[in-house]
Amino acid sequence: MKKQLFGKRTMAVITAALMAAGGMTGCSSGNKETTAEVTETTSAAAAAVTVASESKEEQTTADEIKPCEIKFRYWADNTDYSQLMQDIIKKFNAENGKGITVIGEESPWDGGAYSENLFNSKMGGGDVDCAAWKLTSTPLFVNNGLLADLTPMIDAWDKKSEIDDNIYNIMVEAGDMQRIYVMPWNIQVLYVYYRPSIFKKAGIQVPKTYEEFLEAIEKCTMDTNGDGKTDVYGFAMRGAKGGQEPWGSFIYGRGGSFEDLTTPEAVQGMQDFIDIYQKGYVPPTATSDGFSEIIANFQSGLAAMTIHHTGSSKDMEKLFGDDVSAFPFPKGKGQWTSMGDTETVIFESCENKKAAFEWVSYLAAGEGQKMWCEGTGNVPVSKSVQESDFFQNDRFMKASINGQKFAGIVPILDTTTEWISDLWPNTVSQALTGSITAKQCMQTLQDGLYK
Amino acid sequence: MRKQVDIKQIVCVYLPLVFILLFLLFPFYWTFITSVKPEEELYGMVVTYWPESITFGSYSKLFTTTVNFLAAIKNSFIVAALTTLVSLTASTLAAYAFSRYRFTGRKILMCTFLCNNMFPTVLLLIPLYSIMRKLGLLYTHTSLVLSYTTFTIPFSVWLLLGFLNDLPMSLEEAALVDGCNRGVAFVRIILPILGPCLVATGVYIFMTSWNEYTFAVMFTNTETRTIPVALKSLIGQLGVQWDLLTAGGIITIIPVCVMFFFAQKRLVEGLTAGAVKG
Repeated sequence: MKKQLFGKRTMAVITAALMAAGGMTGCSSGNKETTAEVTETTSAAAAAVTVASESKEEQTTADEIKPCEIKFRYWADNTDYSQLMQDIIKKFNAENGKGITVIGEESPWDGGAYSENLFNSKMGGGDVDCAAWKLTSTPLFVNNGLLADLTPMIDAWDKKSEIDDNIYNIMVEAGDMQRIYVMPWNIQVLYVYYRPSIFKKAGIQVPKTYEEFLEAIEKCTMDTNGDGKTDVYGFAMRGAKGGQEPWGSFIYGRGGSFEDLTTPEAVQGMQDFIDIYQKGYVPPTATSDGFSEIIANFQSGLAAMTIHHTGSSKDMEKLFGDDVSAFPFPKGKGQWTSMGDTETVIFESCENKKAAFEWVSYLAAGEGQKMWCEGTGNVPVSKSVQESDFFQNDRFMKASINGQKFAGIVPILDTTTEWISDLWPNTVSQALTGSITAKQCMQTLQDGLYK
Repeated sequence: MRKQVDIKQIVCVYLPLVFILLFLLFPFYWTFITSVKPEEELYGMVVTYWPESITFGSYSKLFTTTVNFLAAIKNSFIVAALTTLVSLTASTLAAYAFSRYRFTGRKILMCTFLCNNMFPTVLLLIPLYSIMRKLGLLYTHTSLVLSYTTFTIPFSVWLLLGFLNDLPMSLEEAALVDGCNRGVAFVRIILPILGPCLVATGVYIFMTSWNEYTFAVMFTNTETRTIPVALKSLIGQLGVQWDLLTAGGIITIIPVCVMFFFAQKRLVEGLTAGAVKG
């Protein structure tokens, strides 16, 4: 009996020890360099300046680029894009003239787990030098000291002015508010799709101001067959997850901002959003309408306007021909539109940062930028590429390019994911249906985002 | 009377059977017809339950584009076969030792094997990645085989242990009396009886490694990636290539179906063997 009890106790102790050991192994699995970097980064806030200067010194005094291999990890949305990336890599390798060989490593997007896999592999000491990127992952990697500071390299880059300052500002905001860790590559800027035939029927022109936009929504709401029911709604509103993107434009239109959602201007923007729903200018299903529904509503002719990016333009053009066009979200007291992003980063562990920068800058403003954006239909960040006929002759691209100056992102905070997924749709839905007021709604959103 | 019985049988047996079969097989049917639908029909607004025209374009695309599905199939086969071999050998010997010998620390070791299964596999991901990198095994088949054995061996040991404990000792004792030593008795007497159970365990190990994704995405690169990773790469950020994905799915299940076809009888015997006490 005693023996059995002893056995059980021993087992319990061993199990506990195993669990503790497992946990510790998981937590301390980074390589020595990484661990050192983490300690360095987190040891003191004041050290940030030192790190910056050290990093700057290291990069500026680095030797000239020597022939080397650069491992670049990326995801491709389909096999065509995958082939396109391989073609770009091949072209770069053949033409860079510095002996840089980029080795492309494709990794599945996996519903966003791409970034987690990348993080795991970097924490495990993986040898990826640079990678395709999403801004939302930046804080995690920066806090763990995994990303190289690109500021000195961008400052010394002869094509720096090719990219709009607003884009650089967004990159800075996503990091530590001081340095650029992320190299712009391509963007998707949200704009307003509209049906010229419905505008004509409503007797209106493309709105130039936010107030005119609200008026257009009202005027495009029509009973076309005289049965007393609305047949065309002015706007396909997105009330489900993801709706914070077009919603943000309303808030800024009244002079509000994401910095403080409780200002009278922001509350007024919310009130506008509520009004167009409650007055019946948007489909009654708007509270639960997501991306598919708003596009379906627009494509079926149920709505005269909706907000999305170039990702839907091919289908729209195929369906409506010339009877679909686009304009950037109009300016009110303020102006904002949401920006989808894809960037590149160079990892701190990369031994040939200058060579890696040659590659990421080739994607940002070189031939790689042109090839990728023309092939995928994404909006280029390079001004010279934007000015080419390919983009200037496309009305949807033009609306995107015109919108990039005031495009932005929802602040990247620890709370952002939950705020976007749960808090925003639930709270706004309550406000639209009249359960809470605009003021209460904005207070809840403010508390949720900045708690 | 016979007619009445027939109707009763149809209502009580065949109809529910047909319903269950429909429920089980419809996803496979839908996967198949999706893989042979032309792109316009697949992404069109009208849902069709049988394709208006059939195309095998997606199947050929799988092998000719960057997906390189043939290489993925080859890699999956190598990894799954090696994992099965290594895990089965190790776990059979371990289970035999646990079943037939009483040694110090036996229970602790057995419980350790059990506890190993309680850890989420993702917890092992970074440590194993680090180990593989330091050993220079990263992006090789060996790294995947070794990683998979960390969770296939413990489970297999317990599966085989149940069966071995039910085998009477008298079988080996008879062999020992007839002049066999322990090793020969194990090879000549125990292994043949263990056959069905080894098949069942082997199928489990093979399928686990065939379908595993979490380790595969971390430990492989373009040259060594396995089927689950190749299929996942068809799910992009803004859309899914349903035609290629379903074609890949259909090709993936073929080897598993063929294996089940041959192993079916032994598999059922093996899975039920340890469950009945005589």
